[in-house]
Amino acid sequence: MANQANSRPRALEGVRIIDLTWLQVGPQATRILASFGAQVIRIEWRKRGAIDFLRYFQPFAPNHATPDGGRVQGSAPSHGVRGNYDRGAYFNNTNPGKYGVTLNLNHPKGRDLLRRMVRDANAICENFSPGQMDKWGLGYEELRKVNPGLIYLQTTGMGKAGTYKDYVSYGPTAQAFSGLTFLSGLPDQAQPAGWGYSYLDHSPGYFGAMLLMAALRRQRADGRGGYIDMSQTETGLMLTGTSIVEHQLTGKNTERYGNRMPFRAWAPHGAYRCAGADNWIAVSIQSDVQWQALIEEMESPAWARDSRFATAAGRQQHQDELDAKLTEFTVEQDRYDLMNRLQARAIPAGVVQRAADRFDHDPQLKARGYYVDLPHSEIGTWPIEGFPSKLSASPAYVGGLTGRAAPKLGEDNDFVYHDILGLSTDELAALREEDVI
Amino acid sequence: MSSDGNLRTSLENVVIVEIGDQMGDYAALLLAGLGAEVIKIEPPEGAPSRSIGPFATATPDPEQSIFFWRYNLNKKSVILDLDQPTALEPLKRILAKADILLLAGEFPAVERRLEQCRQFAHENPRLIQCAITPFGLDGPYRELKSTDLVQMALGGIMAVCGYDPDADRKYDTPPIAPAMWHSYHIGGEYAAIAMMAALNFRDLSGEGQLIDVSVHEAINTCTELAIPTYIYNGETVLRQTSRHAAPAITQMRLSTSADGVYMLASLSPFEREERAFVELADQVGIAHVLRTPEYAELEKQDRRAALTYRNDLIEQVVASLPAREVFEKAQALGLAWSPIRRPEENLDDRHFAARGTFAEIYHPELGRSLRYPGTVATDGQAPHMHYSRRAPRLGEHTDSVLEWAGFSRNEIAELRRQHLI
Repeated sequence: MANQANSRPRALEGVRIIDLTWLQVGPQATRILASFGAQVIRIEWRKRGAIDFLRYFQPFAPNHATPDGGRVQGSAPSHGVRGNYDRGAYFNNTNPGKYGVTLNLNHPKGRDLLRRMVRDANAICENFSPGQMDKWGLGYEELRKVNPGLIYLQTTGMGKAGTYKDYVSYGPTAQAFSGLTFLSGLPDQAQPAGWGYSYLDHSPGYFGAMLLMAALRRQRADGRGGYIDMSQTETGLMLTGTSIVEHQLTGKNTERYGNRMPFRAWAPHGAYRCAGADNWIAVSIQSDVQWQALIEEMESPAWARDSRFATAAGRQQHQDELDAKLTEFTVEQDRYDLMNRLQARAIPAGVVQRAADRFDHDPQLKARGYYVDLPHSEIGTWPIEGFPSKLSASPAYVGGLTGRAAPKLGEDNDFVYHDILGLSTDELAALREEDVI
Repeated sequence: MSSDGNLRTSLENVVIVEIGDQMGDYAALLLAGLGAEVIKIEPPEGAPSRSIGPFATATPDPEQSIFFWRYNLNKKSVILDLDQPTALEPLKRILAKADILLLAGEFPAVERRLEQCRQFAHENPRLIQCAITPFGLDGPYRELKSTDLVQMALGGIMAVCGYDPDADRKYDTPPIAPAMWHSYHIGGEYAAIAMMAALNFRDLSGEGQLIDVSVHEAINTCTELAIPTYIYNGETVLRQTSRHAAPAITQMRLSTSADGVYMLASLSPFEREERAFVELADQVGIAHVLRTPEYAELEKQDRRAALTYRNDLIEQVVASLPAREVFEKAQALGLAWSPIRRPEENLDDRHFAARGTFAEIYHPELGRSLRYPGTVATDGQAPHMHYSRRAPRLGEHTDSVLEWAGFSRNEIAELRRQHLI
């Protein structure tokens, strides 16, 4: 474990976060806070309609994965194991380092218990559909009566202020609205390619962690809390500033550029097919020197010495032909071998890596210890994606305070309700009986 | 809603010295939006990001890069030629008053600057040093040559992004890097997080530290299902047009509105969404058999055919109305549908006007203001992030920053005589 060998505090030592988030966009922020040492208490409810979708969404841990079992890849039934919500692989990767409790917020006693937890917490995070917390009487204005210094992070698709405050959104919805979806794809295709994943289910988590840590510093200094109304769509717009400003100046509509680089004199610039099935290499030629080096690597074919390709401007102007010719060369090459040869000539080139390449092959990720093995109480120890920076004095550790991957549903009820909140065994039994926890 | 919790000045006592290329611009921009003072130290010819287009003028000009304008709001610019050994004294005096030194660029350049600054960091133990490099400060790839595109390839995002394969699962289109400079966006966001964590740690301990941000790793964190699907089940996800990469080809497709706008219109496997869609189809007068025994029977006999029928219906519903109306009607029923907009279509949307999403920035040289995306959150009333100054002209703040660092006018004149500034 990262930080236990010395007496230094963790970056978020002593911070407690009440985590009502679910799916991807909310849990991302609390995952990061947990990795910096915050005590993150994830609250869930075990009724099917309330359970985090990722608990019963593919992929699942294979059937042979047990608490003590080593990790071995294998197939799993498409529904996991029916009635078992503790085998979701993506959930496991999204929620490491967190404590997990069950709590029924539709029950008045459940809401009382939440208020009690909020009283001694630094922050609460949620990403329910707009208005849900207010319906429960648990919105910011209500909760700050219980804890005036509370920080409240609410993440919604559009944001809770503004014309579309009640509009609903998944990551792809916000991505489409913000303009990001449009940006991706080939100029000669009518449809955008989209992103293949929801960046806007990630970046609100990044910004959430950032703003929470700004608010936590201030809370430490003067006790003030605050309300953060995070908009998924705005986190997308932040990335489109150049297009938006250019449009105001020139009236030009944003275009798609595929993998090409219109804003610098770089060509060839793209993904080129290599030997094998769906194997590709990205090559970016930034200068005439790199172009000459590429010609040498190709053993000086006549086409490459065509005067039209001698300058960056010429290469950019004739990119279609250039790409076709370059592909004739790359398609015969082994992708990693070619990458190594081009890199040896100081040409920026990299294999289009699939998950297997990144997990089994990538020597850089291995050397840096990017994947972190963490145990899960139901499916055993599996590699979890790490935090992508090394901090010399307060390192991030995705196992957080629990030293574990994701919690099982309600795994830490006793620890949280008994050890932290001080409820007696009898009280716990009664709450369980009444379907509150 | 109370706004005493607004964060726009929460970093007002934090001074960041930013040195390097475009990998660092965005990280510093984000912290500048929370009130940090960012001093960008540039070589005499200007920072590399000044040479990135598009340009406001017909020919490239370091003062006219729209890319530079966007990523350097609120910052100050100081010219200091760090390749001259005598430039280290001014750097030392600036860093003595700084909280964060942000270095960005290829490994050898960043390593050289870290070496230059080692003594200064020793003298200012509260200094946080954040190095953003393509692959990190150690490991076998650290010296690889890279660009944004190469990073997106190695980091795994390109492999999950692109167009559908053919019926035999063969691709005739390449993997796609979804947006330009996105590797620096991801790296920048993680760098900003790491710097915030280091500030929290310094509040507790009084210590600065070194942060080593690997853009490669940052990209690796966001390919969603790709890694777990492989680690647990040994399967590879397939890239698919405007859909999430998944081990199987999924059914959803884009629809086109009556006014020719692509719409993201799909249904998640929740009953409430199907009910809402039925109501929408009924509202626009399109006949269907959804939620009838006939459809239930089709679902039982041939799930794929049932999905196709439903997707065809979605297309018809979307095609019956202009995009604006589809959007509003669907949302009124709780369907998370959206038009696929160009970024600039949001400029005049009243929602963003109400939230204060765009910061109005005056450019004296243009005699006009330009609107920049300026926040990701509000406190219920006002944006949490705040931008008020256009990107600096090269060296615009050299004198004022050196004076702040304790240099006399005579000393500044001497530096200028030596061509250091």
